[in-house]
Amino acid sequence: MKLFWAFTRQAFYNTAVFRFEFWLRLISVYLLMYTIYWVWTTLYTQTPEAFGLSLQQMVTYGILGMALEIFLDVGPEWYVATQVRTGAIDTDLMKPLDFHVHMLARSAGEMMFSLGILALPSFVIGYFLFDLRLPEDLTTGLLFGISLVFSFFVFFHIGFLLGVLSVITLDIRSIAWAYYSMVSFFSGQIVPLWLFPDFLRKISEWLPFQAVYYIPMSIYIKRVIGSTALQAVGIQVFWAIVLALFARWAWTRVHTRLTVQGG
Amino acid sequence: MNAFQLYFRLIQISLLSRMQYRADFIAGILGLLFWNVINIGLIGILVTQFTSLKDWTLWEVVFLYSLWILGYSVYGLFFSHTEALENYLIEGSFDQFLLRPASPLIQLLGREFQFNEIANVLIGLTGISLAYTRLDLHWDGWRWGFFIAAVVSGGMIVLAINLLVACTGFWTGRSRGTAFIVNQFYGLVHQYPVDIFGNAFRVIVTGLIPVAFMNYYPALVLLDKVNYASRGWVLSYMSPLVALLLVGIVSVVWRLGLNRYSSSGS
Repeated sequence: MKLFWAFTRQAFYNTAVFRFEFWLRLISVYLLMYTIYWVWTTLYTQTPEAFGLSLQQMVTYGILGMALEIFLDVGPEWYVATQVRTGAIDTDLMKPLDFHVHMLARSAGEMMFSLGILALPSFVIGYFLFDLRLPEDLTTGLLFGISLVFSFFVFFHIGFLLGVLSVITLDIRSIAWAYYSMVSFFSGQIVPLWLFPDFLRKISEWLPFQAVYYIPMSIYIKRVIGSTALQAVGIQVFWAIVLALFARWAWTRVHTRLTVQGG
Repeated sequence: MNAFQLYFRLIQISLLSRMQYRADFIAGILGLLFWNVINIGLIGILVTQFTSLKDWTLWEVVFLYSLWILGYSVYGLFFSHTEALENYLIEGSFDQFLLRPASPLIQLLGREFQFNEIANVLIGLTGISLAYTRLDLHWDGWRWGFFIAAVVSGGMIVLAINLLVACTGFWTGRSRGTAFIVNQFYGLVHQYPVDIFGNAFRVIVTGLIPVAFMNYYPALVLLDKVNYASRGWVLSYMSPLVALLLVGIVSVVWRLGLNRYSSSGS
């Protein structure tokens, strides 16, 4: 456990170097929030009855999607892919810690860094400029927090699996576009799943991506409440376990056929 | 050899080297196709659920999207190596372009032919033809001419903006940050009609980073949506002019940048 924290702390320091990137990401978050705010406001003033919830809830959902991305999306796939491409992965394998656990620690460090440094200002921007509401009551906030932990866990493992894939394909840059668009579509990050046509909603309910954004965000705006909300967290737990096991299995399979390039 | 011949010879070479990685090449095209389909799908869901986005219907939004991507693919196919300028400047490897007896700009642009962009051409053409039939458009010769001019202008506008951004590297060393922000604006104008946003946004994408001239303004003309009662109606016809102006500005800035350049290499 001590080792785990050592790696987490290291990732934290590494990220702290990029001060310039901090401002860039904030500007970009602002722009994304601005867009989503106007899209929902335009649609809502047009046909308020089509939503089944208030404009405020809708805007909060949209803004939240942008604020969460900034710390949930740590992209372990890029780390793995870069190490594989440059051949530097051999140093990772020599570390006295299982690679899967090492990656998890690393991503957790990066996530906590972004949460502390980037998420707070994003929430402030969202709150003061775009009408992002706080959770209505303590239970909602608490459940949202728990749900977020699983969001991270699920998202990490999806990314890790993509990274494992890069051991076979040696590069993921080409498929990354397709991957990212799929995540933002089926996770309901931008357009909530309840607005999807039936067959697309069915598909997204069978995929793990809804566990990343849709579930915590629906809990936050109280679109799902009570036992349904608990059930939703249950779905997250299910995917977290399945993906973790699958990632472990895939990594041990791929580990044995790993080719190290360069030297 | 004149500049054009040289450029196409360079492109040919870069294409040959790209074809060495066939699997990655195909994956790239498929990935881009998929990305576009998902993008259109998202906005499509919104527009169909609510029948329109302000006064833009589904197929009008598809038209906007496709017009943008066609213009962008002109840039993407031929000129996308512009974005690599920063790396050459930082590494000091830009010197190689100055040593050879040919235009440094031609040498830079000729480095890469982004074949993946074929996916964008396909998406753009499909989108435009679908929208054309669904919206029951009947363009006369003048409109067709304007359409082609709009696509070419679109390509030139992206080239000029991206090259301008890259040229700031001659002075500041870094241009990636600015490029990142500019790209965000591209994405927004690409997918949503400009008029759903506030006025500040419209001013930015018209005057400061004039991406709205890639799709929004020409689309007003091509879809018969120009409001002649408003003061700014003339903007709808200005895309080719804006493109020319920008290309003029960037060629001056490029020359200034070259004069200013002093190698960072050892």
